[in-house]
Amino acid sequence: MVNVLSCLLKRKVTADVPARDEEIEALGREIRREVDAVFGGSLAIRELDTGSDNAAEIEINNLSNPYYDVERFGITFVASPRHADVLLVTGAVTHNMAAAAKKTYDAMPSPKFVVAVGDDACTGGIFVGSYAVLGGAEKIVPVDLKIPGNPPSPREIMAGLLALMKKAGNTR
Amino acid sequence: MVAEERKGKQAVCELLGPGSLSERITEGCNSEWYLRVSEPEFLPLVTSLAARECALIGLFCTEHFSSGAPFSILYVFEKKGVLLVVVLDTAQSAPSIARLLPSACWPERECRDGFGIAFEGSFDERRLLLHETYPDDYHPLKKSVGNVSPVMKSSVGPSQEYPLRVVQGDGVYQIPVGPVHAGIIEPGHFRFSVIGEKIFNLEVRMFYKHRGIEKLAEGKPADEVVCIAEMVSGDESVANTVAFCNAVEKIAGTHIPERAWALRTILMELERIGSHLGDQAGMLVDVAFPLGASQFAVIREEVFRMNALLTGSRFLRGMVMPGGLSRDIRIEDLEALGLFVRQVRKRYRTGLKIVLSTASVIDRFSPTGVIRRSILRPLNITGPTARASGGIGDVRVDHPYGLYSRHLPSVRMLHDGDALARFTVRASEILDSLDLIERLLTSLPEGPVRIAYDAKDGYALSLVESARGQSLCWVWIRNGVIERYKIRTASYCNWLAIEHAVQGEIVPDFPLINKSLNLSYAGTDL
Repeated sequence: MVNVLSCLLKRKVTADVPARDEEIEALGREIRREVDAVFGGSLAIRELDTGSDNAAEIEINNLSNPYYDVERFGITFVASPRHADVLLVTGAVTHNMAAAAKKTYDAMPSPKFVVAVGDDACTGGIFVGSYAVLGGAEKIVPVDLKIPGNPPSPREIMAGLLALMKKAGNTR
Repeated sequence: MVAEERKGKQAVCELLGPGSLSERITEGCNSEWYLRVSEPEFLPLVTSLAARECALIGLFCTEHFSSGAPFSILYVFEKKGVLLVVVLDTAQSAPSIARLLPSACWPERECRDGFGIAFEGSFDERRLLLHETYPDDYHPLKKSVGNVSPVMKSSVGPSQEYPLRVVQGDGVYQIPVGPVHAGIIEPGHFRFSVIGEKIFNLEVRMFYKHRGIEKLAEGKPADEVVCIAEMVSGDESVANTVAFCNAVEKIAGTHIPERAWALRTILMELERIGSHLGDQAGMLVDVAFPLGASQFAVIREEVFRMNALLTGSRFLRGMVMPGGLSRDIRIEDLEALGLFVRQVRKRYRTGLKIVLSTASVIDRFSPTGVIRRSILRPLNITGPTARASGGIGDVRVDHPYGLYSRHLPSVRMLHDGDALARFTVRASEILDSLDLIERLLTSLPEGPVRIAYDAKDGYALSLVESARGQSLCWVWIRNGVIERYKIRTASYCNWLAIEHAVQGEIVPDFPLINKSLNLSYAGTDL
């Protein structure tokens, strides 16, 4: 049973999380530089699922686990498209999501970028030709960058975001 | 074997009661029993099955299954250890049984959308899979309708919008949420009717992600459908693929090598651990306890990395296929898994101890989002959610597949039915799965992991216990290709539990309750 008194009185502790991955750290430092240089210190991302199998969402969520913790590098996930610089689209676009997806994109302030994450968002994947699916993300919104994979790993998503920022920096 | 068959038949006959029906049952490929009934026999039979505490775990339609009628509706009934498929042939309509067995409600609407079947006496005639922009009288699952995008409606007037249940009264207001949510979550719409801060009613609207998976599989050979089964729900890739392959193998009468089943079981349990850990970490995030959440998230990331080491995929994809596995796992990787399991168990226990001795966590978890036992059977709620509410169902025990008959998991059951109970049941299951993986690793049979199989025509029902609960699939192969692939994941049923679990709770507890049920949108919407 939980002893309430000891909970109140005992010293509050934090624990070291034994998670460090040098490759990710190096990638992160590079991301930090680009975020500072191109996006004024913070890159705000809105995630939009238009019909994925949830694997890509899981990997995007994993970007916040202590191994990656991308917030350290200036990447934040925001709750509203109105606060977002980048729309991460996952999944092939279903007919049932098309209207909501379009509204989400339209709600973003310009300049805005769209990144398709995963094979089905990039091209429609195995769902091309299904009665319920329009195709890849580019069927409804202009796509700036595609990160293929089934699903792409968190590292690949980070590398993709880095490529996007470099591209945005070059065309500025 | 013969004795088992007789026992199975006897159990079905007992369910059917005295009469001529029991003489007509035929056995399917996977120990399920089929019974064709005429329309006059149908309602009395369903009424008696409901009275005998059978759960309706599946309901779906298929075409050209019987010679006499264009459509056949298959009703899958389950009672511990017994699976009975009642087949009702029809030209166009069938009596609705949703009042008698509420778990028929969504599937009936699904059959209406997919095949245009009318259900007489049904209380919910709204479309389910097909949202407003789909044309009227469009039934994509019919064979005569090609798998191409229909001409969608360009605009939908207010009168054509989906009518949600409206609760009216003094001080009642509505909160619409979704389909695009604030977090990194899949899309779905929640309509809360709220009084003050308390939720009076919640209606969920799903199927925003309807991708037409079942139709996509049709006309393809079984090997090509594996990647479709993997895409049903990302974090259930192995479970859904095993269910599919098991059905195909049962139809072909193939016994896959022992080593393949052992490795499949390891993969299924790894998947369960990953899913449960993600869910537990999410629940802790939702009650603002990052210390615990981070510990579980780290272990989960390591599970994903272990998955990648073993199979080349963080989601264990590309391994399970009809006839066994696509390749063996290297011995040094299996040794690494053994070490990993021992190390993870220790760290997981430490994390668990911290979480369960933190008053603020317990205070939020209990008694939040209670699911009463009385709704389990009517809605066919399964998995850890049911087991936290006093349910004792687990496919691995009730209908063992693969090696589970030799490695029967202990059913972890609690009675409280709240978020804490669901958290605790999952914790026990993670530890059990770690133990099972370790046991399997020490007694791993040698030999091939794949056997050539001859695809045969036929049909079979296959059930597996995914991390979320009972997942069902029914596969019908005709002329060497898939004629019908019906998938019903655990989430499809469990989604309705949330409407009950949130009643009387405050809106800020909704994310926690939602997470504690760990529902897959993709696995529901197909």
